[in-house]
Amino acid sequence: MSLFFNRTFGAGKFLGRIILSNKKSPIVQRLATKTDQATAQVETRPTVAKIDPIQKTHLIDFGKYIAECMPKYVQKVQLTAGNELEVLVPPEAVIPVLQFLKDHHSGQFANLVDIAGMDVPSRPNRFEIIYNLLSLRYNARIRVKTYTDELTPVDSACDVFKAANWYEREIWDMYGVFFANHPDLRRILTDYGFEGHPFRKDFPLSGYVEVRYDDEQKRVVVEPLELAQEFRRFELSAPWEQFPNFRGNPATEEVTNPSEDKPKQE
Amino acid sequence: MAGRETMKTTCRVVKPLMSTDFCEARRRAIGLYRAFYRYIPYIHKYFDIPKSESQIRSKIREQFYKNACVTDIRIIDILVMKGYMELQEIKYSWQQKGHVMANWKPTIEPRPTDFISKFLNGKD
Repeated sequence: MSLFFNRTFGAGKFLGRIILSNKKSPIVQRLATKTDQATAQVETRPTVAKIDPIQKTHLIDFGKYIAECMPKYVQKVQLTAGNELEVLVPPEAVIPVLQFLKDHHSGQFANLVDIAGMDVPSRPNRFEIIYNLLSLRYNARIRVKTYTDELTPVDSACDVFKAANWYEREIWDMYGVFFANHPDLRRILTDYGFEGHPFRKDFPLSGYVEVRYDDEQKRVVVEPLELAQEFRRFELSAPWEQFPNFRGNPATEEVTNPSEDKPKQE
Repeated sequence: MAGRETMKTTCRVVKPLMSTDFCEARRRAIGLYRAFYRYIPYIHKYFDIPKSESQIRSKIREQFYKNACVTDIRIIDILVMKGYMELQEIKYSWQQKGHVMANWKPTIEPRPTDFISKFLNGKD
């Protein structure tokens, strides 16, 4: 009996402790938010990404470090959307910069997540090639951007990252950017015999040809498409640029620009 | 001053794709033509297409002459590269009968040019 009493007593004590701690934690949290609001404005909207100031300082430091290590190659380092570090390099610097980011001990960006292309016809070098890298060791991402035009070859990153093989084939197929020293550069997404590069801005949305089954020929035939005049108008601006929330504020902040020897603009 | 500016804009130093001068680019183009030419009997043999070897030969010749006016070395290099890719597709039978036959455009009727055929087609 006494044992049972003891037990219940003990449980009650324990329960009391839990209740105490439960009560305590919201107070602590509220205090924390209060102090945060006193120091800096905290993002409370649930759908907006919260930016970690410590991570941001680390990224800025690392960006400066990259620019110091490779002053010959790095043209500019910038932060996009608060916490995305971007390194802007000329096309001949892709291999050394990627090799550096992969093998440097304080970076270890050993994963090539994606290679993307971008077409801006108004620029002298109309294509941008964007390498997205991931460091599993430091849970960090970095983006290397370079530029090229229709005829200038970019060095293939296949020697550094095996994953680059298919991504570069994709860029070649969609944009027509030639990758020098690629082991197996050929089409990957379009049909055999397809002409043109569909992701270029001057490629019409409907394409130039249409494909149908022909009963007389007993096979699929390709025929040129007659474009209606209203479809010949090319919308060169991206649809998301029309959103008013993103019109005014520049998304990029410059970390360092070695070519102009500018101090950090934060 | 203006002359120097135009020199700067017109004579841009570019990175060569493969060839460094026109002779080399021309040699590459002729090499591609020879590679296609030697593969003609196999195209005739492996693809069930209603064309003779001489017709295939004249079609390849026609496709090469389509780009005869290209003088930029780098564009020639890109075209030669695309040609080799196409030859590879044909060699490995990645291209099928329909893809090969698409070069002849068998179903496309030429657009009417004179008045009476335009009238009969209902186009003006």
